[in-house]
Amino acid sequence: MIVLAPALVVWLSLWAANAILTGGGWDRHPAVRLAVPLIFGATILLVWEMAVHLLAVPSVILPPPSAIAAKFLASTSVLWGDFVQTILKGALSGLAIGCALGLVVAVLVDRFDFLRRGLLPVAGFMAALPIVGTAPILVMWFGFGWESKAAVVVLMVFFPMLVNTVAGLADTTAMQRDLMRTFGAGYWQTLFKLRLPAAVPFLFNRLKIASTLAMIGAIVAEFFGSPTQGIGFRISASNGQLALDMVWAAILVGALAGSVFYGLIGLVERWLTFWHPSQRQ
Amino acid sequence: MKGTVGPVLLVLAAILAFWYVACVPMNAREVLTQAERGGAVLIPPSARERIDAPLLPLLWQNSAHLDQSWSQLRPRLPSPHQVMVEIWDSTVTEEVFSHRGIVQSGEWSNRSLIYHTGVTLSATVLGFLIGAALGVALAVGIVHNRAMDLSVMPWAIVSQTIPIVAIAPMVIVVLNSVGVQGLLPKAAISAYLSFFPVVVGMVKGLRTPDAMQMDQMRTWNAPGTAVLWKLRLPSSMPYLFASLKIAIAAALVGTIVGELPVQRGGLGARMLAGSYYGQTAQIWAALFAAAMLAATLVWVIAMLERRMLRRMGAAG
Amino acid sequence: MKKLMMAATALAGFAAPALAQDAVRLQLQWVTQAQFAGYYAALDQGFYTEEGLDVTILPGGPDIAPPQVLAGGGADVMLNWMPSALAAREGGLPVVNIAQPFARSGLMLTCWKDTGITGPQDFRGRTIGVWFFGNEYPFLSWMSQEGIPTEGGPDGVTVLKQGFNVDPLIQRQADCISTMTYNEYGQVLDAGISPDELVTFKYEDMGVATLEDGMYVLEANLADPAFADRMVRFVRASMRGWEWAGANPEATAQIIIDYDETGAQTLAHQVFMMGEIAKLTAGSDGTLDEAAYQRTVDTLLAGGSDPVISAAPVGAWTHAITDAALAQ
Repeated sequence: MIVLAPALVVWLSLWAANAILTGGGWDRHPAVRLAVPLIFGATILLVWEMAVHLLAVPSVILPPPSAIAAKFLASTSVLWGDFVQTILKGALSGLAIGCALGLVVAVLVDRFDFLRRGLLPVAGFMAALPIVGTAPILVMWFGFGWESKAAVVVLMVFFPMLVNTVAGLADTTAMQRDLMRTFGAGYWQTLFKLRLPAAVPFLFNRLKIASTLAMIGAIVAEFFGSPTQGIGFRISASNGQLALDMVWAAILVGALAGSVFYGLIGLVERWLTFWHPSQRQ
Repeated sequence: MKGTVGPVLLVLAAILAFWYVACVPMNAREVLTQAERGGAVLIPPSARERIDAPLLPLLWQNSAHLDQSWSQLRPRLPSPHQVMVEIWDSTVTEEVFSHRGIVQSGEWSNRSLIYHTGVTLSATVLGFLIGAALGVALAVGIVHNRAMDLSVMPWAIVSQTIPIVAIAPMVIVVLNSVGVQGLLPKAAISAYLSFFPVVVGMVKGLRTPDAMQMDQMRTWNAPGTAVLWKLRLPSSMPYLFASLKIAIAAALVGTIVGELPVQRGGLGARMLAGSYYGQTAQIWAALFAAAMLAATLVWVIAMLERRMLRRMGAAG
Repeated sequence: MKKLMMAATALAGFAAPALAQDAVRLQLQWVTQAQFAGYYAALDQGFYTEEGLDVTILPGGPDIAPPQVLAGGGADVMLNWMPSALAAREGGLPVVNIAQPFARSGLMLTCWKDTGITGPQDFRGRTIGVWFFGNEYPFLSWMSQEGIPTEGGPDGVTVLKQGFNVDPLIQRQADCISTMTYNEYGQVLDAGISPDELVTFKYEDMGVATLEDGMYVLEANLADPAFADRMVRFVRASMRGWEWAGANPEATAQIIIDYDETGAQTLAHQVFMMGEIAKLTAGSDGTLDEAAYQRTVDTLLAGGSDPVISAAPVGAWTHAITDAALAQ
């Protein structure tokens, strides 16, 4: 452990810096709000780099961040191809289909009370299942291409979206529904002008989680068969070739994509649901 | 709840009926190839021509030869009774009648779903407990320490975008190399997936007491720990249980994913092994067992929630 | 049953006079199956205990790279295919071959006859399933020698990362798939396809075979005389195990079933596998055949634009262990 002393020193000093920044009452400043997590992240990377060198960890077990960054910059074209295959073709299309289906079925469930009582418990049950287990079956059905990955994502996203959208559609108060009735609004008008907008915050909350699930689904599905492209393929094949720096570079692509996507959804959410209390600063 | 039993049964029956019907088109090509090998004359006659033939006309013209759709050895879609038979064989028959089953050898057979469910269950529960404890601890830290609030929360979110499921094999190898084997690596992955919902839920819950309640505690000169123990934690119970339900489902997913690379027992290993040897019914049986496990675990949490909230007077 | 055997083995260990059991961990390169019959037979029949060894066999899996486990200290000796081991050696992990029980390669490509493929040049424009995780090297090397690009397109082959089953062939998602003579080929036949409907290309017959399952250890460990001695005893007992397995295929298949932790193996398939494996190990006493080693290295180096290894390896194998093991 003595050999790790320099790393510990770095960690503690950066922690102290963070504590000073936040303790001094400057934490309302937007620059500080950005700096603190960045310092935290930088700390982890620095400690990692130092630990790998100080403990002489073999690079086939865990490469240092510097090697990973170098590999990432050297392989951008390969990683871009993987990104397109897994994220754009697999995860995004699956997400779009799953959410659209979830929305449509949610409206149906809302319209027909019989479906609500019968389908919703079943959907709630399916939402809790480990859908990753269906990946080998879906690869068998849809082949090796991006279609099977999209299918896994659709399954992973559809049930939670359905359950949450139905909850959102029901989240209107009696007074609001009465108001629509006094305007003489029919079912569909009430749906589009009151209940769907009311459901949107629920939708977006679930969409953020669904986007991370979508990525996980697409990547795991690639383990069960894929063409020679894709983030999951890259991770698995590079691991087999003991090119661990490539493995982590692919993981970095996945993490970046997921974070960017999460942020994008957050931005769209703020734009669409500006009226909701949670959006007040 | 009263009005739901009938509709749920009806929906399930509809799903079952749809499943039986779907077996025909799903298994059609293999069924027809088998019939062709058995000497039947089909339209079009050779397997190569049938690959590109559109499905509906194929079914219509060869409907006389489709009777084997529900009893294929390597089906693309096993029929419900095939899955039920496989579940029965892997549980009751294996345990009672096989020389490795519990009746004859005193311990669970390694070919039975019961054993594999137990393996998965133990890793899931351990991972869930670690993840929940970690989540609560982090949430308490985030609520009380501004530095942690600003630095940890964004990274907790980013941590969920790192496809842990993809690096599960590496995590296991790294842990194995420092001597941690068996249950703990899988539990570590479970904990990773389950801590985040707990953090998010608890942070929200610990912040629910409003200004008036906090003021009240201040007028009583309550120390920070008392505020935490007597006000914040009790108010966060509903949020905690809601996130625990999500967390335990996530822990199960983590365990199954952690079992895929290592292949030493468990439902994930069973699903993959079934996939290797083309035993489709085995995959489905393991999937069902995982579904039952997930439902049971969530139900247990719901029971605990009802008990806890009733004792606290929060729910009827 | 297994617990009883292990308890009996432990008791025997206690009873053995003054013989401390040295621990050895063997990392397999795949799940428990008859491909590793020799080691399981040696374990079950007590050959390791007789040599004073307490052996733990660690099954592999789809995402376990044995070189990684060896590097991390999770195992003392690993099984690996030679191309993967040589690539690891060149990549900075100095592994050394100490024994080679498999004298012949069981790798082959199995294609549908109605695709009209008759030779390697017909692979152009086709979809071929290839395993990864170290098993892709022989194929890539072969295609490189034939001058066929592997990125797809009408003039090259489209490679599918094959999962570890034969569905891509049966469901015609691929025109050809990689199979082992002792495993997947049997599964294809089990699926009801008759050999007349298939055309196969054995890597041995095509002259592009590479050596397969061999025992490897870290070079640094080999310098330690106590470790080397453990390996000598381990190799000796393992080769006895292989002999026993070859002579008792059905009993060996049952042993495999008993040790299989997933419970997914079937006796019939393991008996088939044991029969085929015996053909690959026949005639080998564990000593690495230098000519075969050289052939493997030449195949890998001839990979044209994308060779698996870029230079002939030095010190990648040793006869020291097998010489000492067989001397008794």
